[in-house]
Amino acid sequence: MQRSLSFEIFRYAAIFTFLALSLIPTIWMISMAFKPIAEWQASGADLTWWPENPTLDNFRFIFGESGSDLIVALERTAGRPILASLLAATFGTLIAMVAGTSAAYGLSRFGAGGNLPLALIQLRIFPPMAVMIPVMIMWAFLGLIDTWYGLALIYGIVTMPFSFWLMKTFFDDMPREIEDAALVEGCSRWRVFLKITLPMMRPALASSALFVFILNWSDYLIALLLTTRDWVTIPVYMASLSSSMTGQLYGAKAALGLIAAVPPVIMGIAIQKQLVRGLTFGALKE
Amino acid sequence: MTEIVMQNLGRDFGDFTALADMDLTIGSGEFVALLGPSGCGKSTTMNMIAGMLDPSHGEIRFDGRNMNGVPMAKRGVGFVFQNYAIFTHMTVRDNLAYGLRAQGVGRAETDRRVGDIAELLQLTPMLERKAAGLSVNILQRLAIGRSAVVEPAIFLLDEPLSNVDAAFRAVMRAELKSLQRQFRQTMVYVTHDQLEAMTMADRIAVMDHGKLLQVGTPLEVYNHPADTFVARFIGAPGMNLLRGTLRGGDTGHTVDLGAAGHCPVPTRQGGEVLFGFRPEQVHPDAAGPLQMTVATVERIGARTILHLAAGEHRAKAVLDSETPVPDQGEPFRFAVTPDDVRLFDPETERAI
Repeated sequence: MQRSLSFEIFRYAAIFTFLALSLIPTIWMISMAFKPIAEWQASGADLTWWPENPTLDNFRFIFGESGSDLIVALERTAGRPILASLLAATFGTLIAMVAGTSAAYGLSRFGAGGNLPLALIQLRIFPPMAVMIPVMIMWAFLGLIDTWYGLALIYGIVTMPFSFWLMKTFFDDMPREIEDAALVEGCSRWRVFLKITLPMMRPALASSALFVFILNWSDYLIALLLTTRDWVTIPVYMASLSSSMTGQLYGAKAALGLIAAVPPVIMGIAIQKQLVRGLTFGALKE
Repeated sequence: MTEIVMQNLGRDFGDFTALADMDLTIGSGEFVALLGPSGCGKSTTMNMIAGMLDPSHGEIRFDGRNMNGVPMAKRGVGFVFQNYAIFTHMTVRDNLAYGLRAQGVGRAETDRRVGDIAELLQLTPMLERKAAGLSVNILQRLAIGRSAVVEPAIFLLDEPLSNVDAAFRAVMRAELKSLQRQFRQTMVYVTHDQLEAMTMADRIAVMDHGKLLQVGTPLEVYNHPADTFVARFIGAPGMNLLRGTLRGGDTGHTVDLGAAGHCPVPTRQGGEVLFGFRPEQVHPDAAGPLQMTVATVERIGARTILHLAAGEHRAKAVLDSETPVPDQGEPFRFAVTPDDVRLFDPETERAI
């Protein structure tokens, strides 16, 4: 197909604009993470794209090592918030996936719950803020404030609707005959679910889990409200990286941001094969 | 080997009656085809035999034992699905062994039986391959093998050949038939393809709109259709049905077909009738009693199909390709042997 030159120019301009919008912040973060204080604090004309004197000072700083040029006393180091985020997001994802998948299977196969599932997304219809105040009181009553499992629990509850709806569409798309074939051979329902359905759903499980994990991993609001000291998460900790003397500690934030990007990226690469393969029930003909 | 008895069997989905009052006995070791168009209730019947669906009323008995409420895992049936339902995350071997393992058959015995069935169905070279990505023809054999390996007393096949290509379908028709001769299971075969039913089945059960219309051997349903639906559905092309009036006379009865002429028939009572005859039983005859105009001529190698018209009547004739045929638009005169004529009541559509 012959396209006019102006169309081609427009096309590439659009592509580059989009790439710039999505890539420049990332590049800027990576660059800033390796800049010494003088460079990230520089204003206006002194800013450079790449660090002129690359350093790991920012990483040393957030992990509490001395030797950095920053003369700011940190209330706490990054190790604990990273652990908090990992625990809360991982277990939150686990809760959401187990509950969401079971519920989705029940509804998809047996119509369990009738009209109930609409209620499931109501937690999402409200802005999280609206329910967070009562949740705070409940969590305080249950002694779950500032604990990683308290956070994991609310993450599981809040993201369960997502895993539920994702998994439900996947289950709806999976032909019942596959399970019937196993049932007729003399398998129990549970065995069919565990040995046939779940293994065939692996790509669906992987992509839903990644989605839910990223939601949990990047939460700020809930962690801000439900943690105070011991179990603040990376986003909350990142916001606290400022000082009255130097203002926002951009270098330290960038270093932490880079660290925070690692788990989702690793997960994404690990399940890439599943994501690419997608949901292909190769052995079925319509 | 099990005898299946269906008595007064029916299934409703809300207001829709998928199957109404079916009575059918399938003998032990018999190969019965449930034949009918989409939505005729044949798959519903099959699913109830397998236990995937509970009957709304009536009962199914296997060798006299009432099966209502017995879960499908306990019925001892093999089921081959239209879309094969192969476990794509497993190897061919694991697929074949699945049923045996589920029933707790020992490892050595499982290996032996999987090996045997793989040999029989020519699956041996791909035993260790993942099922995902195998060709449709292989998946089809695998689906049959997976069900056959547990040697079920009843073997149910739901349109197993509808997705494979025509050449392979012909091969599988022969293979399925020989497989059944070998194992002597009771076989129920759902299909909408009358050719499959005619070539494989011991008996055919023709269904339409949730009703069992006729049960009989392939030749019985072909030669003596119980009603106009069976007459049209069996045979390719189906039976010609022309509306006419039966009149008595001194020399016997004739059917007055208006524009197409008059045709003598064995004596029956008078009145309005549907005059039926097989396209294959049309005999070109310059002195024949019937005449219609050739609308189109279809040549399909060994045979020639004439599409005929006369007034409101439409009919087809299948002739040997050697037989000279008139050109399009020309008149075609023919005869039908009175014994080949089937008469139907135009009101009830039943055979007279």
